[in-house]
Amino acid sequence: MATTITKTETLVGKRIRRREDPRLITGTATYVEDIQMPGMHYAAIVRSPHAAANIRSIDVKAAAAAPGVVAVFTGKDTEKVGPVPCGASLPDLRVPHHHIMAIDRVYYVGHAVAVVVATDRYLARDAADLLEIDYDVLPAVADPEKALAPGAPAVHPQWPDNTAFNYHQEGGDIAKAFADADVVVKQRITSQRLVPNAMETRGVVAEWRGADRQLNLYTSTQVPHLVRTLVAGMLGLEENRMRVIAPEVGGGFGSKLNIYAEEALMGFVAMKIGKPVKWIESRRENFLTTIHGRGHVDYYEVAAKKDGTILGIKLKIIQDLGAYHQLLTPAIPTLSVLMMPGLYKTKNVSADIVGVFTNCVPTDAYRGAGRPEATHGIERMVDILADELGMDPAEIRLKNFVANEEFPYPTATGLTYDSGNYAAPLDKAMALADYSKILQEQVEARKQGKLVGIGISTYGEICAIGPSPATPAGGWESATVKIEPSGTVTVMTGTCQTGQGEETTFAQIAADELGVDIDNILVLRGDTSIVQYGIGTFGSRATAIGGTALYFALQELKAKVKLFGAMLLESDDVTFSGGQVTCNKSGKTKGLAEIAGATYRAMKLPPNTEPGLVATHFWEPPNFTFPFGAHIVITDIDKETGDIAIRRYIAVDDCGNIINPLIVDGQVHGGVAQGLGQALWEQAVYDDNGQLITGEFMDYAMPRAHMMPWIESSHTITPTNVNPLGVKGVGEAGTIGCSPAVVNSVVDALSHLGVRHIDMPLTPEKIWKLANAGGTN
Amino acid sequence: MFPQTFDYTAPTTLDEAVKLLGGGAKALAGGMSLIPMMKLRLASPEHLVDLGRIKELNYIREESGALHIGATATHYAVESSPLVRTKCPLLAETAAAIGDVQVRNMGTLGGAVAHADPSADYPAALQALEAKIVLRGAGGDRTVSAAEFFVDAFTTVLNEGEMVREVIVPVDTSGVSYQKVPQPASGFAMVGIAARVKKAGGKVTEARIGVTGLTNSSFRATAAEKALEGTNGSAADIQKAAALVAQGSDANSDIHASADYRKHLAVVYTGRALIAAMGRAQ
Amino acid sequence: MKISGSYTLPLPIERAYAVMQDPAVLGRAIPGCEGLEKTGPDEYRMKMKMALASLSGAFEGKVRITDQAPPSSFRLVVEGTGRVGFVKGDGLLKLATVDGGTEVSYEGDAQVGGTMAAVGQRLIDGTAKMMIKKFFDRLAQEANAQDATE
Ligand SMILES: Cc1cc2nc3c(=O)[nH]c(=O)nc-3n(C[C@H](O)[C@H](O)[C@H](O)COP(=O)(O)OP(=O)(O)OC[C@H]3O[C@@H](n4cnc5c(N)ncnc54)[C@H](O)[C@@H]3O)c2cc1C
Repeated sequence: MATTITKTETLVGKRIRRREDPRLITGTATYVEDIQMPGMHYAAIVRSPHAAANIRSIDVKAAAAAPGVVAVFTGKDTEKVGPVPCGASLPDLRVPHHHIMAIDRVYYVGHAVAVVVATDRYLARDAADLLEIDYDVLPAVADPEKALAPGAPAVHPQWPDNTAFNYHQEGGDIAKAFADADVVVKQRITSQRLVPNAMETRGVVAEWRGADRQLNLYTSTQVPHLVRTLVAGMLGLEENRMRVIAPEVGGGFGSKLNIYAEEALMGFVAMKIGKPVKWIESRRENFLTTIHGRGHVDYYEVAAKKDGTILGIKLKIIQDLGAYHQLLTPAIPTLSVLMMPGLYKTKNVSADIVGVFTNCVPTDAYRGAGRPEATHGIERMVDILADELGMDPAEIRLKNFVANEEFPYPTATGLTYDSGNYAAPLDKAMALADYSKILQEQVEARKQGKLVGIGISTYGEICAIGPSPATPAGGWESATVKIEPSGTVTVMTGTCQTGQGEETTFAQIAADELGVDIDNILVLRGDTSIVQYGIGTFGSRATAIGGTALYFALQELKAKVKLFGAMLLESDDVTFSGGQVTCNKSGKTKGLAEIAGATYRAMKLPPNTEPGLVATHFWEPPNFTFPFGAHIVITDIDKETGDIAIRRYIAVDDCGNIINPLIVDGQVHGGVAQGLGQALWEQAVYDDNGQLITGEFMDYAMPRAHMMPWIESSHTITPTNVNPLGVKGVGEAGTIGCSPAVVNSVVDALSHLGVRHIDMPLTPEKIWKLANAGGTN
Repeated sequence: MFPQTFDYTAPTTLDEAVKLLGGGAKALAGGMSLIPMMKLRLASPEHLVDLGRIKELNYIREESGALHIGATATHYAVESSPLVRTKCPLLAETAAAIGDVQVRNMGTLGGAVAHADPSADYPAALQALEAKIVLRGAGGDRTVSAAEFFVDAFTTVLNEGEMVREVIVPVDTSGVSYQKVPQPASGFAMVGIAARVKKAGGKVTEARIGVTGLTNSSFRATAAEKALEGTNGSAADIQKAAALVAQGSDANSDIHASADYRKHLAVVYTGRALIAAMGRAQ
Repeated sequence: MKISGSYTLPLPIERAYAVMQDPAVLGRAIPGCEGLEKTGPDEYRMKMKMALASLSGAFEGKVRITDQAPPSSFRLVVEGTGRVGFVKGDGLLKLATVDGGTEVSYEGDAQVGGTMAAVGQRLIDGTAKMMIKKFFDRLAQEANAQDATE
C-alpha cells in the first residue's frame, strides 16, 4: 500500500501568504488587456466633451475612410441594443432610457457618441479624431442641490425637477422622540463624489464565433454571471450562447459591480464585424465614464436627553445620481438609511432621500456603498452631540450602544443585528491609545497653543449582502468542489475576486475540511462556462456567503468520500480525517487519491450512489452580518499652514472569525487608505458647466504610500451565527471606520476655537482658515 | 492614451540635434512632461529628437569656480552627484524634492528648465543661485541668466529651434534650504522656496530667495532679500523679511490652493527656508 | 472660472476703444489667432493655433462684440473648439481715462472643456492670465505701430 501523508495542521486562522501574489507582483497575471487573438480589432470610443448638448449631426465619412478602419457605429446604429439595466427598484422610480450610446442628446462629459473599429489601436484612435460632430450646447447642472433649485436646467427634459425619486422610511415614533428631547443638534454633512480608481481600468474583448453562434466576452468585472444574463438580454442573444470570462481583475471597489454600455457595445461590434474586438478603457475614460462613488449631501437632526441618551434621528439625503441609473445607483442611499442608527439603540428614525439627476457620470457602489456615508453622518453627529452636552465622545457612545444581551437586535430600520459586543473594540482601542493620558496631553498642548485632536469612530456595517429578498439579483452564492480522479481538488466559486485573496482563503477552508495539502487545491472563478452560476464579489459577501456555500459543498463531498472509503475498506465504521478514511476497527486506511480514483472508475458503487466526486451547493443566507469596530485617530495640526499629521491610527475591527489574519490586515489597510483618501485628499470636482476638472491624477489626489500613517491594526472576535464559519466580512470595514475618525479628530483639535464640523476633504487651506478664524465651514 | 504618429530621431551629436531642431523637430528629453501631453493629444509634434543619446549633453563637472551641468543630466544624477551635493547643495536638495523616484530617474534638468512649468522646483533654486543657462541654436551658444530666461508660464527666451545646452551654477558656500509644499495629487510645488544666506561677523551679508509655484513664473524675492541683508538674521528679522516675499505678486489659484493661501504659504515657507538656511550658514 | 483684472493702454480713450473694435487689430492681438473673417455685424470667424510649451492645438472659433457703449464699455465673446477641447470667454470690458492713457478693466467668465479642462486644471488660471496679458501687450504694440505709420 502506498504511503499516505496525513495532514494534521489546520490552515484556517493562520497567517499564510496569498497564493495569487507571485503572479500579481511579477506582472505575469492575465488581465483583459493580455488576451490576444488572431484577427483582433480595436475600438476607440468617441465621447462628448459637453455635459449637455443636442447632437445636430455626425459625419463619419472621413473616419470611415481612414486607414485601417473597418467600421464606425453611432448611437443610431446601436439603437436596437437594449438599455443599460438598472437593477434597483424603488416606488415611482424614474428610469431614463439608457442607450448604450447617445443618439440625439448627450447627458454628461464622456457620454459615448460613436465607436471606431480598426485593425490597430493607434489607427482607431487617429480615426476617432476625424469624426465631425455638430453639438448644440445646452446649459448643464452638475451640483445636486443646484439641480433641485427652481429654474435649474433639466438633465432629462421630461423631468424638469431633476428628481428621480423620493423615498421615505421611518421607524418608532420620531415626533415623540423630538418632543421629549432636551437637546436637538443639527448639521449639514457632505460625502463628496469620489473616483474609485481601480488600478486596472475596465476593458472588454468580444469574440463572435458565427458558425457556433457563440459570443465570448472577456471583461474586467466583479459579476461575470450577471453580465452574461443581462448583456445577452441587451443583445437579444440566448443566454446559453454567451460566455463571460473575468480573467485577472485588477481591483474593482464596486466600480466593476455593474453592467456597462461598453460590454454590450463590444458584443454588438464583434457580432457585426465577425472579428474579435478589444477595447481598453484609458485612465481618462475611467475618470469620466466608470461610475463614481458617494455624492451625498445629508441634513441630520439628532434628538437626545441631557444625559446623552439618543432619542431619535432625522435624516434627509440628497443623492447625486448623475445622468443615468447604472446597476444599483438609486439603491445605494437606501443602504445609508438602513445603517443610519449605527451601533446605537435608538428606535426612532425618519429618513428621506431625494435622488437627483445631474449632468455627471452616474454614481453607484464604491467601497462601503452607502454605509460610509451613514457612518460618517452618525459618528459626526454623536461627536457634535457630545460637544453640545459637554460629554466625552467615548462615554456617549458607550451609553447608547446596543447591549450584549440584546442580540439579535431588531433595529429601527427593520434590520436584525446578528451579534455584537460593541464596547469591546472601543475599550481595546482606548487602551491602545492610552486615552486618558492623551486627553491630558491635549490639555497641555492647548496651553502651549498647539493643536492636537483625538477622534473616535465606532462603526457598524451591513455585510454578507445579502439574503435574496433584499438583493436585486439574488443574494445567495454557490460553490462546486470536485475531487479529480488523481485526488487533486478543484473549487469553483460563484464569487469573483478582484484582489481580495479568496484563492487563498477558500483553499484554506477546503484544505482543512478535506485534510489535503493546500497546493493540491485550485480555486477557479470568473468564467460562466466553468462556474455553475454565481452572484459575485461585493458587499463584503464573498467569504461569508461564498465561503459558506463552499463549506456545505465540502460536507456533501466528505460524506461521499466516506461512503466510498467505507466500501473500499469493507467496513461500516470509518472516520474521514486528515485526507484519509480510516477503518475504526482495523485501523486500515484509504487515501483520498485512491478513493477518488475508485469513484471515477466505478467498478463498484455503494448502494444509491452515483460515480464521481463532485458536489455543488447553492447557499441562501438567513440574514446579513453586521461587523463593527472602533478606530481612534490622533492628529497634530500645524496652525501656520493647516497641515494635518496623523500621529497614530488605531483600528480595532471585529469581523467575526478570521480565516487569514494577513489578508484581513491587508483589507483593513487598503480600506483605511481609501477612507483617508476621502477624508483628506480625494474629490471629483465638476465645474458649473459639468466639466470634470479633477479628471486625471495630476489633480485627483490619490493616497500614496508615502502619505500613509502607520496603521495599528488589531481585532476583537465576535462570531456570527448567521453562517457556520462565523465570519462576517471585512472588505469595506477600514473605509467605513476611517473617515469619521479622521474628521472627528481634526474637529476635536479645533473645537476650542468654535469649530463644530468640517466637510471632506480636509484640505490644509480649509483647516488653516478655521484654525485662524474659527467657526464652521 | 495613444499619441499621434510621429517621426523619431536619436542623434548622437549636439550639432545633428541642433540641425533637426532647426528644421522644426521637437526635443525629447526625459519625456516626463512631453509624453503625457502627447498621449492625451494635447501635443502632437510630428518629429521628435531624442536628446538621450548625445553624450556631450550628459555631464556634471566643475570648471573655474562653477558647476556645469549638461541638459540631459537627470534629476537623480543631480540629486546624487557628490559634486553637486558638496559644491552646490541647494541644487541637489531641490532635485531630490521633485516628483517621485521614477520621475527623477527619467526627467532632466534641461527638460525641466525648457518646459518652464510655473510649479517646477528647479527654477526657484536657479533664481536663488543666480544661475546661468547656456542655449544652443543654429547660430551657436548664448548665455542668459535665470532671471532673464524664465518669462512666463511655459514661456522662456528660447527661440524656435534653440535648445538648452547646459546650466551653470556657482560653487556655493552659503547656508541653503529648499522648502516646498507639494500639491497633493501631482507633487508639483504649490509653493517652493529656495533660500541662501551668507553671514559674517554676526550679520547677514547676502541673502537670495527664489520663489516658484506662486505665480506664473519663478522669481527672486528681492525686497525680502534686501530686508534681511545687514540684519542679525534673528527670528524677528526673518519674519519681517519673509512677510515681503509675496508682496505685489499676482498669485495663481486653483482647486488646491487659492491665491491668498498660496501667498500665505510663501511667507511661511520663506520663513522656514531662511531659518534652515541660517542654521547652516557659517 | 471668473476672470477679472485691468490693464493700462497708453492711448486716449476714444483711440483705445476704436482699436479694440478693429478686426484687423484684434486678429493680430488675440494670441494664436490666424485671422478673423467677418460673418455678420460685429461677428467674426476665427482660426487659432495655440502653442504653449508642449501643448499645441488648432481651434476654430467665433469672436463677437456686443453691448457697445463707446467709448466706455463693450462685451467681447470669444469661442474656440478644437480636438483638445473648447474654450469660451465672455467678458465686459470697461474703459476709463487714467494717467498715461486708458485703463481697461475686464470682468467675465471663462469656460474650458474637454481634455484641456480635465488635465490642465492647475495650468488654466495661469494660462488665462498670460493670454490676457499677451492680448493687451499686443494691442498696445499694434496701436503704437498704427500711430507710427499714420
Ligand atoms: C508624476 C510627475 C510628477 C512630477 N512632479 C514634479 C515636481 O514635483 N516638480 C517638478 O519640478 N517637476 C515635476 N515633474 C516634471 C518633471 O520634472 C519633468 O521631468 C520635467 O518637467 C521635464 O523634463 P523632461 O526631461 O522629462 O522633459 P520632456 O518631457 O522630455 O520635455 C519637456 C519639454 O521641454 C522640451 N525640452 C526638453 N529638453 C530640452 C532641451 N534641452 N532644450 C530645449 N527644450 C527641451 C521638450 O521639447 C518639451 O517641450 C513631474 C512629472 C511627472 C510625470
